[in-house]
Amino acid sequence: MSDTPQIGQSRPGVIHDLGYRHYDGVRDGTPTIARTLFVTGLRHAYGLGRSGKSKVMPFLLLGMSVLPALIVVGVVVLTGGSALPISYADYTNQTQLLVSLFAAAQAPVLFSRDLRHRSIVLYLARPLAAPVFSMVRWLSLTVAVWLFMAVPTLLLYLGALLAGIDKSDQTTSWLKAVVLQVLLAMMIAGITGLISSVSLRRGFAVVGSVMALIVLTGVITAVQAISADQDAASAATAVGLFSPWSLYNGLANAWDAGVDTFAPVEGAWPLAYALVAVLLVGGCLLGLVARFRKVGSR
Amino acid sequence: MINSTIAKLALQALLGRRRFYLLLAFPVLLIGLVGLVTALTDGDAAWEIVPGLGYTLVLPLVAILASSSVLGPEVDDGSIVYLLSKPVSRYGIAISKWLVALGATLVAGSLPIFVAALITGDSARAVALLVGAAVAGTTYSALFLAISAVTRHAVIASLMFVLIWESLLGNLFTGIAWLSISQWGVRIAHALSDELPDPANLPWAIGASAVVTVVGVWFAGDRLRSFSLRGED
Repeated sequence: MSDTPQIGQSRPGVIHDLGYRHYDGVRDGTPTIARTLFVTGLRHAYGLGRSGKSKVMPFLLLGMSVLPALIVVGVVVLTGGSALPISYADYTNQTQLLVSLFAAAQAPVLFSRDLRHRSIVLYLARPLAAPVFSMVRWLSLTVAVWLFMAVPTLLLYLGALLAGIDKSDQTTSWLKAVVLQVLLAMMIAGITGLISSVSLRRGFAVVGSVMALIVLTGVITAVQAISADQDAASAATAVGLFSPWSLYNGLANAWDAGVDTFAPVEGAWPLAYALVAVLLVGGCLLGLVARFRKVGSR
Repeated sequence: MINSTIAKLALQALLGRRRFYLLLAFPVLLIGLVGLVTALTDGDAAWEIVPGLGYTLVLPLVAILASSSVLGPEVDDGSIVYLLSKPVSRYGIAISKWLVALGATLVAGSLPIFVAALITGDSARAVALLVGAAVAGTTYSALFLAISAVTRHAVIASLMFVLIWESLLGNLFTGIAWLSISQWGVRIAHALSDELPDPANLPWAIGASAVVTVVGVWFAGDRLRSFSLRGED
């Protein structure tokens, strides 16, 4: 071996040379590998760099979530309205079915395939350790889901600016929506990623994610509607802690971002909502790291 | 036509290990929620959940899970070619697998809807819902089996049909009730109990359900007859 500095070779048993030809130049460190993996993962989530057929699903869903924004902008411009009929945060809420489906459909692409085909051992034998690998995968999915939500709201925002609607209000409202979307994307990517890394068959991973995101949210919305109807406002607010979408809506309501909930989220509830959201993300990340440690050590 | 060995293998694929719990989760969730709401509230709040949640989410999702797990994994990992290389009629394979998926859909999808409706009281409307859910479950399982035989992305394609076409667009455009399997089921249930809405006309609902079922199973067999294995995409 040469005496050039071996960056990132802190763990034992790391394979640098795959055989064919020896390389003894300067090696890039962990940050470069992580960045490359992140970019590849983000591209794969939208089917870029994969076969033509795998681009159909993500872009079809993206198209469906962008279309209403274009229609809204068109109507506002043509009728000369002085405000958007829907707030940015509420637009994401209204298209939650599409966002959930996108995350459920694309999480297995990033989390199941390496595990199912056992190519994960090849990844983990290289300088990137299992915790970093799972974090980078999660980051790719988070950014992919966030982009999915941010593109339509960005179009709405640009449309509002071009239509001459009051700028400062729109900017505040849009920035609030973006922050909330980042938090929501972190939760959704954590949940769907964890489910896809445990359930390796694509079909079951998708149904499991749909169950956790769509069915659970449907159940919670039904319970909230009934509680609010029975004048049990605090019960309606408490139930909202159990689904990422109701957490998002509750926080948006508390932060005055233009989302209506069944009961106003006020007092100490916003703090509870934020804490649960952060704990949910943290728990999913711990689960992912544990899962990849386990498959990496087999 | 029915091959008992294939049916037995399909049943094992369906109930094997963790999948069984996923399949079990839907009825538990539905019955638990309806029971809870009935216990805590007065009035008919619980009754509104049954068709709303049961027909539009639980029944189609159970059908998707059942239909895609009898055929999906084999298409996914390519081991279907070993089955297709046997001198067994491809339509027989499709029918055997469909019967297993149908049984699972009826037991884990339609029956819990009946039980949940019974919990809310009136048994006449519960029977009506059971009949509607049985028809819709039959149609759903045949349609989703056909989709599983066509594409590897069967689960997502089926989910898009149910969630986007039937739920999202169906809520916006009432005309979609004429092309929505769950609404056909609701229409058939309406013939037995007036407490359910009346989205389309009865002969259409019955005829369309029958046609989709027969064509779906036949089409699945036909796809298996001319099956070609492709790589991962």
